[in-house]
Amino acid sequence: MKNTMQSPEHGSSESPLTLTSLTEALRDQEDRLLPCVHCGFCLPACPTYVRLGDENDSPRGRLHLMKAVVEGRMSPKSKAFQTHIDRCLGCRACEPVCPSGVEYGLLLESAREVASKAGGMSFLSRALMGIMARQPWTNWFMGWARIFRWTRLPKLIARIIPKLQVLHPFRFGLAMLAATSETHLKSFTPKSSKNEKEKNDIIQVQPKGRVALLEGCVQSGLFSRVNRATERLLQVNGYEVVTVTEQGCCGALHAHGGATDSARKLAIANLKAFDSDHFDYIATNSAGCGLALKEYGHLLEHDSKHSKTAYAFSGKVRDISELLTMSNGPKVGGSIPMKVTYDAACHLCHGQGLLTEPKDLLKAIPNLEIIDLPGEEECCGGAGIYGITHGDLGVSIGEDKVNAIKNTGVDLVATANPGCIMQIGAGLILAGSTITAQHPIELLDESYRRAGYYAE
Amino acid sequence: MESLPKNLARDLKNIVGSKWVLTDRDRLLAYESDGLTAYRSIPLAVVLPESTSQVSNVFKLLSQNGIKVVPRGAGTGLSGGALAEPTSVIIGTSRMNTILELDADNRRAVVQPGVINARLSEVASPFGLYYAPDPASQSACTIGGNVAENSGGPHCLKYGVTSRYVTGLTIVTYEGQVLQLGGLGRERGSYDLVGVFVGSEGCFGIATEVEVKLLPKPEAVQTLLAIFDRIEDAGRAVTSIMARGLLPAALEIVDGATIRAVEASVFAGGYPADANAALVVEFDGIEEGLGADVQKAVSDCNNSGATEVRSAATSEERQKLWQGRKKAFGAMGRIATDLLVQDATVPRSKLPEVLLKISEIGDRYDLNIANVFHAGDGNLHPNILFDRSDSEELEKVELASTEIMKLCVAAGGTITGEHGVGHDKKSYMPLVYGIEEMKAMKKVKTVFDPHHGMNPGKVLPADI
Repeated sequence: MKNTMQSPEHGSSESPLTLTSLTEALRDQEDRLLPCVHCGFCLPACPTYVRLGDENDSPRGRLHLMKAVVEGRMSPKSKAFQTHIDRCLGCRACEPVCPSGVEYGLLLESAREVASKAGGMSFLSRALMGIMARQPWTNWFMGWARIFRWTRLPKLIARIIPKLQVLHPFRFGLAMLAATSETHLKSFTPKSSKNEKEKNDIIQVQPKGRVALLEGCVQSGLFSRVNRATERLLQVNGYEVVTVTEQGCCGALHAHGGATDSARKLAIANLKAFDSDHFDYIATNSAGCGLALKEYGHLLEHDSKHSKTAYAFSGKVRDISELLTMSNGPKVGGSIPMKVTYDAACHLCHGQGLLTEPKDLLKAIPNLEIIDLPGEEECCGGAGIYGITHGDLGVSIGEDKVNAIKNTGVDLVATANPGCIMQIGAGLILAGSTITAQHPIELLDESYRRAGYYAE
Repeated sequence: MESLPKNLARDLKNIVGSKWVLTDRDRLLAYESDGLTAYRSIPLAVVLPESTSQVSNVFKLLSQNGIKVVPRGAGTGLSGGALAEPTSVIIGTSRMNTILELDADNRRAVVQPGVINARLSEVASPFGLYYAPDPASQSACTIGGNVAENSGGPHCLKYGVTSRYVTGLTIVTYEGQVLQLGGLGRERGSYDLVGVFVGSEGCFGIATEVEVKLLPKPEAVQTLLAIFDRIEDAGRAVTSIMARGLLPAALEIVDGATIRAVEASVFAGGYPADANAALVVEFDGIEEGLGADVQKAVSDCNNSGATEVRSAATSEERQKLWQGRKKAFGAMGRIATDLLVQDATVPRSKLPEVLLKISEIGDRYDLNIANVFHAGDGNLHPNILFDRSDSEELEKVELASTEIMKLCVAAGGTITGEHGVGHDKKSYMPLVYGIEEMKAMKKVKTVFDPHHGMNPGKVLPADI
């Protein structure tokens, strides 16, 4: 076997890499691989194994592939390693069921790094990561996306494109963009609206802390309304919110996709932008970004210059639901008489262990009927752009989620990650459903508006 | 390395679909072992059919070409039962995972072999029913695998093992013949071939449909946790609880090393981390009278030297206690890179003595042995911890294992309680059975599998 090759996605790096150095990222993680005793308890938790039945598509099988690469029994260029590592959703549903506590998510990132260095990555992934790594490009891209969304054409076109395999990525991509539109909740107004405009004084006692908000790329580009709502909710619940201007992409997309070097660069830029000494908390409202920030410590653990700061930074990161539910929060808002269900974003429930907190936000809304979603902790198939890149499988995972939501008979589904809102929303649009997907924050924000917490 | 002839691979793909035939060596690595990783061997191919007719056609093709077959469920087995030689093809049941029928009125269900044990109980739960056999791996293991191994579990002390619950089978033999054994309306009045097939460790054929009995969920359940300074004391408590005629649903002992591994995991059961032994006692049945049994068990524990006895107040607490017990094997990964979970039984009264001797064996070979086991029926599970990369240690593990087996047999026990003989323990068979008895077993196998194409190298020693 030829032992030298070029790094395909880092054009600047000209130095030939040997197979040995390719596997280094994984070898560094060997201690994390060893606790797997092959018990198989993770198999039924894995969305890809459950659907495909091939153990290479199970967490245990993928760990076995990683071990084989570390042991030199398999080339990272091998089709098996490339295919099955790529096919993982990264949902981490295997982590909470693992008695040995294997840190699968961290291992996957190293495996993706090794796989992409050895085999490259898809044009679409490279393009997206390239855009997200440069703030002006992100702004430009999101600007056009917003204009296109404003024309309402994405939804229209997505629904009339024929259901052909070759057109799927295009069709689904348009539906994902359409799913980022705001849902107007006006029709869900209480019949007697006497209390609606009642003014509530915001009594500021001791602030609960200074909070800096991560704006995020997709979040600020397509869901800036969620960011503004987040700030309002934090203020009403007694936090001081500070704007950090120099921040950029969190690097989650890059880390999950195997572009670990880019992820590290983005992380270091954010460490500089958010001088964490100045804040009590760094808040996020995107499950994926939040988990990435909480793992900056790990991402930079071998970087002697930044690792200490990174761990300190990660220690201050909180999901918005954590902050709002702290010390008897959140404040109860105004009535929204509608039926909703909650879908647990993987990187919140499996990645950050937050399942009840986001639901508690919804419980602070009077007259909001919350219906349990069967399989709420199962991945929706979002996983970045999995729905576009993994045609058949992504569609099948997405359809199961959409059907479960439709069966609850709700008006709206709340989920706390932009990728999941887009994935589920797109699935609902293409299924011709009137149910929309929204961030729980938007509902609570509307509820606070109705309660008169905001001076209007 | 052996490889599957191209035309055969093509024909297999024509039967099950090209996605479901794995022949690439790198994709076969994941199938090189089951839950027992001490032995590894890469199979010739893996085939994943989805129906009885596909299984039958795959068998016909393979048997005509003289290729041997190893069945595999979820690969959670601990005796190397799904270990495939480089010349064998694995038939996996992972895609046959449908519950075909749930007949709540008659408390029966018909399932495909790849259905996960715990899922059957989940689906039956709204009807007030459950599937009784509960191996510790029930969240992952399959009914088909349970049939092959005649699996038990903590609650088989009161409820019995798999064979008590399987009433009918559709099986496919190595020649591809489909047979209906037992089943609705044919349970009696013939040779009990269902009984013969259950526990045959994949050596007779593959069950592609399994009819099982479901039980009504018990009206009330009470669970106790007793803590001991010495594991022998916990063993004594077990003996006295059983000797006075009580019949708990489960009696489980977890030793100190195991407690510490599990308590460090996400499945922490709330066991005191400094305890040397814990005994879980569970009673179930009708509400009345349960309290009296519990009281008697509490006093037995106290009289045997328990330092603390507490009872699970809520069903969440009870679940937690059980998680702590059932996830013990996986949690061992926290304290060792490899482990061999042994499985043997001894008469209950011999438990304290045998446990002491096992710990002596561990000391002699300088191996850590953790114990977590079904004490009520004397079913021991010594977990020998080791590092596979250390070949000297691996050798010691085998020697210690053999000594433990001999010890249990000498105490009047046998070499397996529920994990099966598989590959790991066939060399111990002569400790328990004579040549003629093993030959009789082989004759029974030959009835189902005249060409000896099913699960080669399992259960019986090669020279039989």
